[in-house]
Amino acid sequence: MDLREGSVGGIAVLDVVGRVDSTTAPVLQEKLQSVMTAPQTKVLIDFTRLEYISSAGFRVLLLAAKRAQETGSHFVLCGVAGKVRQLFDLGGFLDLFTIAGSREDGIAAAQ
Amino acid sequence: MSAVVISITNAANELTRVSALADQFAAANQLSSDVTADLHVALDEVLTNIIKYGYTDDRAHEISIQLRVEDGMLVAEIQDDGRPFDPLILPEPDVKASLKKRRVGGVGIHFVRKLMHEVNYRRMADRNRLVLKRHLKA
Repeated sequence: MDLREGSVGGIAVLDVVGRVDSTTAPVLQEKLQSVMTAPQTKVLIDFTRLEYISSAGFRVLLLAAKRAQETGSHFVLCGVAGKVRQLFDLGGFLDLFTIAGSREDGIAAAQ
Repeated sequence: MSAVVISITNAANELTRVSALADQFAAANQLSSDVTADLHVALDEVLTNIIKYGYTDDRAHEISIQLRVEDGMLVAEIQDDGRPFDPLILPEPDVKASLKKRRVGGVGIHFVRKLMHEVNYRRMADRNRLVLKRHLKA
């Protein structure tokens, strides 16, 4: 897994490239924790180049979304397609997260 | 490459070796990216579960993983000497729960059951033996 961090108009944008599994999920968790330390942060995660995500990764996403809900932060996902979308669907995660149809929509949703 | 076998110890950092072997096996057998991803996810879920919850002592234990293609199916066979554990009897996660109520765990084995077409568990000679099968097409 490779994390690429950028910023668009006050939104932290995180591109997750490769695989999120039990080995790499802690790295994603650490990054999200450091990005979301302040309340009311705005985060967009782009999964366009994600190959797959296992339950260890979903655990990290769930914790971040719960934290965002509690702290008034915006936590948005985009690029959820193909195999990754199937895993979101099987796990019942499609309705739990704010998932935008495109990166542009994701930036708008995270504002 | 008809079948590959790897033995690991019950340590989380061993999973990178399994993942590398799964990639080699997938390439040698020209598995689709879909099947390969499912194999990776299933192995990650099953092995993480064994390593985290399978043992009641602090000793090193061996877990063996065999991958093969048989009758148009990908077969992954995982054996461990941990406490008896049939992952098939785990309850399904509540996938309809709201974000607030949704439990953070419990989805791993659910993924295995959904991604694989056959999952069989047997306890034999003080070992857990889990066999996962997935059609190579579809």
